[in-house]
Amino acid sequence: MKEFVYDSVYLRSRDFEQGLALFETWDPNARYAWDAGVAIGGYLKGLKAGKLVGRFCPQCARVMIPPRMFCEHCFCATDYWVDLQDTGTVITYSLCYVTWDMARLEEPLIPAVIEIDGASPGMGIMHMLGDVEPDAVEIGMRVQAVWKPAAERTGAITDIAHFKPLDRP
Amino acid sequence: MSLLHRIEHLHDVFAWEGDMPTQGRYTAGIAGERFFREIQEHGRFVGTVCTLCDITYVPPRLYCERCFEHLDEWVEVPTTGRVYTFTTVHLDLDGNHLPEPRLMAFVQLDGADGGLVHYVGEAQPEDICIGMRVEAVFKDKEERKGSILDIAYFRPISTG
Repeated sequence: MKEFVYDSVYLRSRDFEQGLALFETWDPNARYAWDAGVAIGGYLKGLKAGKLVGRFCPQCARVMIPPRMFCEHCFCATDYWVDLQDTGTVITYSLCYVTWDMARLEEPLIPAVIEIDGASPGMGIMHMLGDVEPDAVEIGMRVQAVWKPAAERTGAITDIAHFKPLDRP
Repeated sequence: MSLLHRIEHLHDVFAWEGDMPTQGRYTAGIAGERFFREIQEHGRFVGTVCTLCDITYVPPRLYCERCFEHLDEWVEVPTTGRVYTFTTVHLDLDGNHLPEPRLMAFVQLDGADGGLVHYVGEAQPEDICIGMRVEAVFKDKEERKGSILDIAYFRPISTG
């Protein structure tokens, strides 16, 4: 067999623009839907209904939020759904003066991890705090979810607009 | 509770929807470019010949698929052939119904070891059969773009 090396052919954008090279264009329809799964699906369904739900582990008797189908401590299948309060306690928080795409902010965003009432200690979700002065935020502060109107809720974590300080009696 | 849940209602499923903008360009390549240019300019088919394996490739290849020899012998082959197999297509690529069903066939070209998948025109589904003699019908030259669709369709050769 004789050796043969074909001359390399470089294609530049003008070769396409001027029709010097034959080609087909192809626009694949790359729309997708990502299934949230049973546990998070039920969680999002609860959010749409205006409530927070968790899952109960029968072995270590923990109530977990966000819900999951398996307990990560004992690998036991979680048992049933538990309705939780929409109130909780700030475990940690941050005053954030940049947005996710690094735009500077005058007024800070206040992301926080909130331990949800009715769930086991340390079980919480991350959300924004609002209706509060940044200086007034503290760890251990009691907060409550501010829900969007039912018509605006889509089954997303943003169905809660933010958490606001809970007025103490 | 079982671990497997059967989804019985679509609204029970929460799914995040998204879109990935992608666009592809697929070039004909060196041999394909020459094949389509011959169709566009001259309305004829060319192929490459492997003399070692005695194979004529249409559409042409740059390398023999059997012995990997580089192929630089080009031949013109007739634009006639016979129906190797055929089907009637009712749906388009998106699954929508076509206004009219279309006949499609794999046409084994005379003088070549390959062939082309293409439309069959000027024929009714009941007329077509395996082994039927057909010829390529090209579009007018000014409409030709160097594409496989420069061939309008294959039509039966009237045996008179």
